[in-house]
Amino acid sequence: MGSVNLRGIRKAYGAVEVLHGIDLDVEEGEFAVLVGPSGCGKSTLLRSIAGLETISGGEISLAGKVINHLPPKRRDIAMVFQNYALYPHMTVAKNMGFSLRLSKESKSEIDRKVTDAAEILGLTELLDRYPKQLSGGQRQRVAMGRAIVRDPELFLFDEPLSNLDAKLRVQMRSEIKELHQRLKTTTIYVTHDQIEAMTMADKIVVMRGGHVEQIGSPLDLYDRPVNMFVAGFIGSPAMNFVPASVRDASVMTTSGAEIGTQEGVESVGEAIAGIRPEDLRLSDTGQEATVSLIEPTGSETQVTLRTMDGNLILTTRDRLDLDVGQAVHVMAAPGKTHLFDAKSETALKLRESA
Amino acid sequence: MNETPRPFYWTFITLCGLVIATYILFPVFWLFLASFKTRDELAQLPIAFWPKDPTIQAYRDLFDSGSQSSQLLNWPTLISNSFTVAVTSTIIVVVLGTFAGYAFARLKFPGRDLILGGLLVSRMFQGAALLLPTYRLMNMLNLQDSLIGLILLYSAFGLPFATWIIASSLREIPFELEESAMMDGASRLQSMVMVVLPLATPALITAAMWHFVGAWSEFAFASILLESNENKTVTIGLASFVELFTLEFQRVGAAATLVALPIMLVFFFGQRYFTRGLLAGAVKG
Repeated sequence: MGSVNLRGIRKAYGAVEVLHGIDLDVEEGEFAVLVGPSGCGKSTLLRSIAGLETISGGEISLAGKVINHLPPKRRDIAMVFQNYALYPHMTVAKNMGFSLRLSKESKSEIDRKVTDAAEILGLTELLDRYPKQLSGGQRQRVAMGRAIVRDPELFLFDEPLSNLDAKLRVQMRSEIKELHQRLKTTTIYVTHDQIEAMTMADKIVVMRGGHVEQIGSPLDLYDRPVNMFVAGFIGSPAMNFVPASVRDASVMTTSGAEIGTQEGVESVGEAIAGIRPEDLRLSDTGQEATVSLIEPTGSETQVTLRTMDGNLILTTRDRLDLDVGQAVHVMAAPGKTHLFDAKSETALKLRESA
Repeated sequence: MNETPRPFYWTFITLCGLVIATYILFPVFWLFLASFKTRDELAQLPIAFWPKDPTIQAYRDLFDSGSQSSQLLNWPTLISNSFTVAVTSTIIVVVLGTFAGYAFARLKFPGRDLILGGLLVSRMFQGAALLLPTYRLMNMLNLQDSLIGLILLYSAFGLPFATWIIASSLREIPFELEESAMMDGASRLQSMVMVVLPLATPALITAAMWHFVGAWSEFAFASILLESNENKTVTIGLASFVELFTLEFQRVGAAATLVALPIMLVFFFGQRYFTRGLLAGAVKG
């Protein structure tokens, strides 16, 4: 197990640069998740760490050793691919033992390690099967088994759950997390699913357009997004954004209604207010709105509200007595409004006292 | 099958198949039956279809060193020459075609698709147009009347198609499997040999069968390049045989059956790979 240190990683295909100097440190034993919309460069970054892509600039170190110029086979990194990439002509046991066979381990040693890994992953019964005889979740486990038998310095996961159905995805999510807690191998995991990122990560790296937007713990990113992109990307349903101005800690929409209060913010004429759906409340005063859609999920209800400043989403665990078309007033819970610069879209600084 | 039965349609298709098969196979079968008849029986009228008194005398005559036919044409030598040429050039074609096919399927280099297409187009020229230039070339290289010359020639002719069919089959194999093998610690060659080639077996077998059959039955180039009796191949032997023994039709039948036998065996055992290999790329496996 080792820490991963990336310094100024650049990757260009011809004249097109897709990674613009990425700096990232993943501590030993940490579970880091790279998340971002498709095309943000997260998979390219992962493949660069693996050695499947050659980088155009920068330095990749693993356990204190620079590995940029090593071929994949000499990096001591195991990778789980999106479509599992199991060898179709080999049994589960052969698939899992392949790397050990290549590193010329003795047959008894291979058998022992494969049996151990199979036991951890519940694959013991399936060792003689071929990949085509397995279900999606089982294939996923074999792919992980193939990674763990080697006991590598680093695990890489490239959107490993995206081919599974929703229920299995949730189950495998916890399995991977448990596996990590058990093995404590440094892991870098790529996904476009922010829920996966939130639930699994020790550290989330939000990427967009080949840049890192923010690095932090899941709740860090949720509570203190540095810009509108991170604020909108993390959290589901997404944060509401409305154009606003701030005067004496009072946040007003362009129609002049107060939508929230936020201490510690300088007065500004033009800003964007961001309010998470669960922080939005029905109230006696505040922004006027019309109920346009009510979607109960059982545990909570999601209400879409039409206002003069665009739609707002509100979620609540209360059983609301609302009808479509009803006129209401909404406001953010005190101190729960995020404020962003209207031009740069970065978060406005709060004064220390707040 | 779960689809709605369409009796008329299937009967029609089956009948068409039978008619075509009969049309093509009847002469072959006739020749095969003739090889078990005697000379007298073949000369009889009316012509009998089944041999009245089947005998393998015609086959004995081919290999009987004292017989008239084997003094002129030595069948064991012919067969051994043909095997040497066909097997050796098949090995050359499959091995080189595999590496070339891998390069075309996996490596990016300028003009890749153009060159691969060009390889295939080169095989669309009529072979006859190349007869004279080839003869001159082989003379210059001092390879006329030699099996080595013929092996090199057949390999050159066979490589484009083998490369093409192997390349198209390798393109169907997801590159992620190789990336996965490399992450597992394989070198490029190891990933090719241990992961890719086992999955490309149908294409390799198809390429091998295709080439073996072509090399075994090639006539035109063999006939202009090979002169001495000890270098001749079965197809030349068969042609001379027809000229020599027009009246001994049972012997022609026996010789033809013998020449066709390896090809039939190859197809019999390789059939299931053959269709799969040629269909590679048609459907996702």
